[in-house]
Amino acid sequence: MSAGSPSRFFSLPPVSSSVLKNGLKVYVVQRRELPLVSIHLVIPCGAEADPSGRAGLAHLTAEMLTLGTQKRSASQLAAEVDGLGASLSASSGWNSTSLHLFGMSEDCQRLIDLLLEIYTESTFSPEEFEQLKQRRLAALVQQKDESQIIADERFQELLFQGTPFDHPVYGTLKSLPLLLCGESRDFYRRTFLPPGSLLVMAGDLDAEVCFRWAEDHFPSAVQGSQGLGPEEAPLPSLSGVRTILVDRPDLTQSQIRLGHIGIPHAHPDYLAFEVMNYILGAGGFASRLMRRIRSDLGYTYGIRGSLEPRKNSGPFIISTFTPTETTFPCVQEIFSVIRSFMAQGAIDQEKEEAVSFLTGSYPMKFETLSQVAYRIIQAELHGLGLEYLARYPERISTVSIEDLLRVARTHIHPERMLIVVVGRVEKFRREFEQLGPVEIMG
Amino acid sequence: MQGLPKIIEHRLANGLCVLVGEVHSLPIVSYQVHFAAGSRYERPGITGITHLFEHMMFKGTQQVGPEEFSRIIQANGGTLNAFTTTDNTSYYENLPADKLELAVRLEADRLANLRLTPETLEPEREVVRSERKLRAVNSPFGLLIEQLFALAYEQHPYRWPVIGWDQDLKNLTLEDCREYYRVHYSPANGVVVVAGDIAADEVFRMVEKYYGPIPSQTHLRSAIPKEKPQRGEKRAVFKKVSQVAAFFAGFHIPEITHPDLFPLQNLCTALSAGRSSRFFEKFEKPGKAVEARAEVGYPPFLTMDPGLLQIYAIASPGISLDILEKEVWEEVEKLRQEPLPAEELTKVKKQARAYFLQAQETLFFKGLLAGIYQVRAGDFRRIDAILPNYEAVKAEDLLRVARKYLRPENRTVITLQPVSQSEHEELGEVE
Repeated sequence: MSAGSPSRFFSLPPVSSSVLKNGLKVYVVQRRELPLVSIHLVIPCGAEADPSGRAGLAHLTAEMLTLGTQKRSASQLAAEVDGLGASLSASSGWNSTSLHLFGMSEDCQRLIDLLLEIYTESTFSPEEFEQLKQRRLAALVQQKDESQIIADERFQELLFQGTPFDHPVYGTLKSLPLLLCGESRDFYRRTFLPPGSLLVMAGDLDAEVCFRWAEDHFPSAVQGSQGLGPEEAPLPSLSGVRTILVDRPDLTQSQIRLGHIGIPHAHPDYLAFEVMNYILGAGGFASRLMRRIRSDLGYTYGIRGSLEPRKNSGPFIISTFTPTETTFPCVQEIFSVIRSFMAQGAIDQEKEEAVSFLTGSYPMKFETLSQVAYRIIQAELHGLGLEYLARYPERISTVSIEDLLRVARTHIHPERMLIVVVGRVEKFRREFEQLGPVEIMG
Repeated sequence: MQGLPKIIEHRLANGLCVLVGEVHSLPIVSYQVHFAAGSRYERPGITGITHLFEHMMFKGTQQVGPEEFSRIIQANGGTLNAFTTTDNTSYYENLPADKLELAVRLEADRLANLRLTPETLEPEREVVRSERKLRAVNSPFGLLIEQLFALAYEQHPYRWPVIGWDQDLKNLTLEDCREYYRVHYSPANGVVVVAGDIAADEVFRMVEKYYGPIPSQTHLRSAIPKEKPQRGEKRAVFKKVSQVAAFFAGFHIPEITHPDLFPLQNLCTALSAGRSSRFFEKFEKPGKAVEARAEVGYPPFLTMDPGLLQIYAIASPGISLDILEKEVWEEVEKLRQEPLPAEELTKVKKQARAYFLQAQETLFFKGLLAGIYQVRAGDFRRIDAILPNYEAVKAEDLLRVARKYLRPENRTVITLQPVSQSEHEELGEVE
């Protein structure tokens, strides 16, 4: 059976937008099916701005905003948020920091007032700062038991070695103890204020009221700012296959990551790569990797190839896990699938089905309020613009079979991939030495 | 209530129940088939067969090749998956509304014409064993939670994990799968749910067309043993390589249809939902616990037979687990001694209402709510009572259920004791 015809017409939810005098961009999406609102304030500065050796500063600073204001202590603030049945989160990605409030529309005014209070009146209490740091450190110690997280962290750290992206956004056991409350407050003052920030409000709300509120309140909030973000640093690339084995003798199954640095979200080849990668590794049972490694060989429960959409070049990673005894054969098979794909490319039916999936399932990416807000934020921060969202299905449809082979050959490099395996190293170390030098980490 | 669709029911002559909730906000639908097939219907020796069989449902029919089901749905813009629980096995496709008929046809086809062969069973057995390693054996607390259920239940099938014991996974046969299919996968044992941008009449026509000809078979299913009331605390220690010490506890509580679950849910919310909760303030904020939680499943994930309310805490490095556990029970004891203050009760009721509405954002969840209530509680209409039930809870209800269920005699506790790699090895293999 071949791919179906395009599905019923879908258009993006209408987005109203405006730029305030202080440079804050405001987007409002009205949706009234449920009595809910989702409010996001996004600052275009994230963990890439962490100073050297201070990994986790942006992320910690984001959460400090939620731990007490001039009007309310951390506990009172938490009681206020929970009392509204709302959820409040604050976190940093690589290029941005987000404050998110999700609650009932009957409390909309209180929620937006709270957001402004958190954003502009945070007290940065040294006691809260120390407690937060201790909580984060304890969580990082516990995380050492999670082999999937170890594999992801090691992979990214080694892949981006020497760049601002070589640490987890939430910091490390080494960097967190060094961070100081005053440093966090200064970081906030230097980097967390507009211009270039986005306010996205979605849900059961009135667009006019939202714009008026933002216009009336946000100007007074701005204390002066400078857009900050490091100069884009050149990213490293490997000269051959590099294998890192992380020894965890208690595991019965190995976690495997392999790949290299990919391309930025706004790269002209990104969409063709997305279609190509659906066929190679992202398309579940429609992907070549899943069919071979899981369905034919039974080596794993899951395997996936992904290119993380980032403003800068994100990692292209193939992730899987397999019992200790099939670790090396599994890696060999992955290489074999990649090489065969790069030699022959995709067939027409695979391309049609990939396009049909990406266009047909597109409306589902706008189902929840947070999804809608997230799409808008990502398009704006990655320099794609809202037009990208509207034209996505049409642009995906124009990708050709030749494009797929070209982007695979241009942007996938099996001869210089990083391989990270977390598991019972003594059982497969010798096999991996066939691929070249092997480094062992504890 | 704004946003909650009216559900319309239709029943086919072969007993298949069909539920439709029309929602026209986006041009998509969620199509779901829920079977009353879960690990509660298994017996020792074939644990995990329900879940392994769920995997086998993707292995093709006379007309559709192995794993083709997924490829075809995705090639038509859909996403799909399936999941197995203690009480139901559920299959779903979320797809463009104008492709619904494709999902109905393919689901009906695999219900009637599944092909089970040794060539597809063998690799899938290994896939499931890999999944077991992922979810239980190599996860920080997976084996601990398995031990909790194995100790808390002595007779009822909830005592083994849904994914099954590895020894059983190795021994399951094709004949076991065929028998499971024959007994449990009958139209009368299923509930079809459609939520989304489609007219109910249209759905009924499609379902009648594809499922109508499938005969219903009635097979006697073995009676499920009842668990006897627990008459004293049970405790055990589990040793493994770990960075942290932790305990996981379970208290026996009633089944999905019982009204006491609503105040029990409120108690859990007071204990650990949000940063103003008692556990956060007392244990997480000051750094005594990495995490401390009290949980009853949210609707519809409440169990068909009496389940467990779980309380667990992961000690921060350097904190004594014994002291942490003692302090957690002191917090729980307060709920048995003093009524929840009025302000706190108002807060947890608002949280319950907000969380329930927030979950309604997706068609998938709207469908699950109706389908799983139909299977587990025997009637999807019970979902209309969820919000009123939360609203009706009074402080005295909380005190009563805390005293009734959160008693030490009704408690089972497993503690994780970290050991070195060499001690771990001396204790034998984990599987």
